[in-house]
Amino acid sequence: MIQLFDLSKKFGPNVALNDIRLRIRQGEFVFVTGPSGAGKTTLLRLIFGAEKPASGYILINAVNLNRISRPKLDLLRRKIGFVFQDFKLLPRKTVFENVAIALEVIGLRPKFVRKKTHQTLRLVGLAEKENSYPLSLSGGEQQRVAIARAIVKDPLILLADEPTGNLDPQLTMEIMELFKSIHRKGTTVVVATHSQELLEATDCRTIVLNRGKISEDTS
Amino acid sequence: MRSYFIRQTFMNIRKNLSVHILSLGTIVASLLILGAFLLLFGNLNNWLQRWGTALSMSIYLKDGISEYRRDKVYSFIRGLPEAEIKRFISKEEALKDLRAALGDDAGFLNRLGRNPLPASYEVVFESKGTHGVEPEKIKGELEKLDGVEEVQYSNEWLNKIEGFLNVVRLIGFIIGGLLCLCVVFIVTNTIKLTIYSRKDEIEILKLVGATDWFVKTPFLIEGMIEGISGGVLAVLMLFSGYLILPTKGVSLFGLTPLDFVFLPAGYLVLILILGAVLGVIGSFIAIGRFFAV
Repeated sequence: MIQLFDLSKKFGPNVALNDIRLRIRQGEFVFVTGPSGAGKTTLLRLIFGAEKPASGYILINAVNLNRISRPKLDLLRRKIGFVFQDFKLLPRKTVFENVAIALEVIGLRPKFVRKKTHQTLRLVGLAEKENSYPLSLSGGEQQRVAIARAIVKDPLILLADEPTGNLDPQLTMEIMELFKSIHRKGTTVVVATHSQELLEATDCRTIVLNRGKISEDTS
Repeated sequence: MRSYFIRQTFMNIRKNLSVHILSLGTIVASLLILGAFLLLFGNLNNWLQRWGTALSMSIYLKDGISEYRRDKVYSFIRGLPEAEIKRFISKEEALKDLRAALGDDAGFLNRLGRNPLPASYEVVFESKGTHGVEPEKIKGELEKLDGVEEVQYSNEWLNKIEGFLNVVRLIGFIIGGLLCLCVVFIVTNTIKLTIYSRKDEIEILKLVGATDWFVKTPFLIEGMIEGISGGVLAVLMLFSGYLILPTKGVSLFGLTPLDFVFLPAGYLVLILILGAVLGVIGSFIAIGRFFAV
C-alpha cells in the first residue's frame, strides 16, 4: 500500500507538490494525469525514494521513506519497478544486459537471470533485438526495453512515467495490455500520463494533478 | 554476482584503457624504484653480515720475544673458539710488506738503523661473527699475555658501516613511504576517472536497487588488479635489469668478493602484496569520496 500524508515538495522557490494526501491500495491500477509541470513525475519520484519531500511523509507497505536507511531503500527499490520518461538505458550495454541488470543487482543466479530476461524480452516483443544497443533502437523500442527492465523482477509496485509517450496507438494498446497482465498478478501499477486517448479508454482510478495539487480523484 | 563483478571490472579497464596504461606505467616506476632500493639494501645488509662474521685480529708481539713465549701466545690463540691463524708475519716480512706498500716512497726505510716493525699473528674468527665472538674481551686477555705488545681488530669500522646502513634504512623508509603514497594517489585518481566515466550507469544501478557495495566492488577489484599488475611488471623489470648486470660479484675495501644476489622470494611476494594493498586503498579512497553524495 502507498500512503502519502500532507506531502509537499519544492525545487528552490517553485512548489512542485503541495499538501498531497493520497492512498493507493495494494493491487490497484491508478493513472496520474495533469498538464505538463503539474507534478506527476515528482510524485512518482517521491514514491520511489529518488526525491526527499520538503514536508509530510510517505509510507510504502508501512515503511516510512523519510526514516529509511540507505541500504533498506536499496532493498525496497528491488520491489519497485520504475519506467523512466527518459528511459535511463545504458548505451554501452546491450538490450539483454540492460534488462538483466535489474536481476543481477539482486544477486540471482546467472542461469535464472538469463531465462527470466529472455522471457521478458519476448513479452515486450524485443526477443530479436536482445543483442542490439539502445542507441540503434527506435524511441518505441527503447521504451519497451525500459518497461522490460522494470517488470523483469516481478515488482510489487510498478511506477511508469509517460510509458507510452513515444509509441504509436497500436503499440500503446499492447503496452497497456502488458501493464494490465502485470496488474492481474497483484502488482500495484501507477501510470503517469497526459494521453487523453489512454484515459478515455480506461475505467481505472484517475488522479488529476494541477499546479502541484490533486484537483480530482475518481476513486 | 561474482561473474558480474569480474565482467564489470574488465569492462571498466577496457573502456578506460589509455588512462589505465598511463597510471600502470607510473605505478610500475614507483614499485620499481622501491624494488631496486630493496635489492640494494638487501645486498648491503648481506655483505655487512658476511664481513661481520669474518672478524680479523692482528696480535703484535714484543721485540725480542722468546720462542717459548711466542709458542705460549700461539697456543692461547689456538685455544680461542672459532679462531684460525691465517698467517704469522715476522718482523722481516712486515718490513717487506711495508716496502711493497710504499713503493717509490720506501727509500726512507733504508735510513732506519733497525727494523721498527713488530712481528704479528693474523687471526680470523669465522662463522659466529660479531655476535658470537667478543673481540674486546679477547683483546684484553691477549694483551695480558707476556710477549704481546698490542692487539687490533677489524670490526671497529664495521660499526661505522652499520651506522651508515641505519641512515640508508631510514632514507629507504622515507622514500618507500613517499612512493607508496604516490601509488595510492595515482590509483585514486584513475579510479575516480573510471567512476566519472560510469556516472550515469552508477545512477541507474542505484535506481534499480543495487547496494552501494554492488556498485563499489568492481572498482575495488579494478584498483587491486592495477596494483598487482604494477607489482608483477616491476618485479619482471627488476629481474631483467638484474640479469643484464655485467657482473654479479662485488669487491669492496679489498675484502673477499661478495655476491650481488636478487631479491628473495619473500620480498617479491611483499612487492606484489604491497601493490595489491595500495591499489585497494587507492580505490577505497576514490569510491569513498564519490559515493558520499
